[in-house]
Amino acid sequence: MLARREFIRTAAKGTAVVALGGAAWYVLDDELTRKARAQTRPDGRPRLPPGQRVLSKLKPMGGTPGSPKVSEFRLRVHGEVDAPFTVDFRALLGMKPVTTRADVHCVTGWSVLDAQWTGVRIKDLAERAGLKRSARFLIVEAAHGYTANVPVAPALRDDCLITWRLDGKPLARAHGAPVRALIPDLYFWKSAKWVTGLRFSSVDRPGYWEKRGYHNVGDPWKEQRHG
Amino acid sequence: MGEAIDGGPASPAVPAKRRRFKWRRLLRAVHRDAGYLCVGFTFIYAISGIAVNHIADLGDTSFTQIEETVPLTFEVPADDTAAAAIAAEALDIDGELTDAYRASDNQLILTFERMSVDIDTTAKQVHINGQEPRFFLRIANWLHVHRQTTAWTYIADAYAIMLLYLAMSGMFMIAGRKGLLGRGGLLVAAGVAIPIAFVVASGGPTGG
Repeated sequence: MLARREFIRTAAKGTAVVALGGAAWYVLDDELTRKARAQTRPDGRPRLPPGQRVLSKLKPMGGTPGSPKVSEFRLRVHGEVDAPFTVDFRALLGMKPVTTRADVHCVTGWSVLDAQWTGVRIKDLAERAGLKRSARFLIVEAAHGYTANVPVAPALRDDCLITWRLDGKPLARAHGAPVRALIPDLYFWKSAKWVTGLRFSSVDRPGYWEKRGYHNVGDPWKEQRHG
Repeated sequence: MGEAIDGGPASPAVPAKRRRFKWRRLLRAVHRDAGYLCVGFTFIYAISGIAVNHIADLGDTSFTQIEETVPLTFEVPADDTAAAAIAAEALDIDGELTDAYRASDNQLILTFERMSVDIDTTAKQVHINGQEPRFFLRIANWLHVHRQTTAWTYIADAYAIMLLYLAMSGMFMIAGRKGLLGRGGLLVAAGVAIPIAFVVASGGPTGG
């Protein structure tokens, strides 16, 4: 049986190892943050929004997952459009996929830079559906009734996608497989995982987190974390 | 004068002394029992609370993540069920196959209970990803944020009320020499002052 002193000594050593390991991990990650802080985006904004720390890869942040079964996946594009439509996974793959690099910023304070995403532009999906001039907001719909609201203009930028590949690999379940949204210039909760629909609306409809105290817009450069 | 039970002479009658109600003793007894009752709840809420507080560093603690890319070393027959059986054996995957999907001529996506397997026959690669639940943390996190049924809400409310009782009774259960005017009062004041000072210093909810 472990003697009391021996137990305390082992526990102290274990704590020290964990603490030192954690410190090393922090220092390495902070090197990425320091580099990013020195950079500027083409639009003149700093590469890293205030209050963010750079991680080397996405962190799984939980949520109630949707079905991972690809055969069950359907994306419905509807609302303020002339020709609403629904596509399955195979049809989505056949719709002019693009690969783009984008930075993403989580409201909890981490950012991942230069992640490579493959998917279809939301702009192309909207165009196919015949977006009406009355559409002012995009409501991203996801599994279990989750929604996120985004003004139409930022959602139709070239880097906003419905995506299924990250860094050359299929999207992992924890990150919204089979398909998630990507709206890089807003906090990452707007990029709904396990996406099921894109609903264009003439009026704003605050989504899951927006109704629970998060900011309605979620601009990382203005630190619009909470409402 | 009556007779004693053992037959000897009975003691002279003593006037009954009025017993004083000892409220502090009752307070301590109830505090102790509430404390016992709160142990399990406190572990659930404290551990999952730390996990949620540090979600930016720890991510979703309910699961361990599995992500791996390996070379394709097995044949992929045209029959999906047969392909799934071969893949499961070659990749050592347990669990029931729930979906098999041919995304294209060269891509087969197999969904098992806890794993997804994406086979690319052109690149000769297999991408595996999935999640393994962490038993205690998954349950603790689920209970902490659980809002689906009112039953747990009532139980959690009862726990919160017990915590309030523990905090209140804790102040009075041991008299101390100076009561709340001594160290106890200072500690209570500190406990109230720290959150107030933080709100003032940070600007509060509207200050970000």
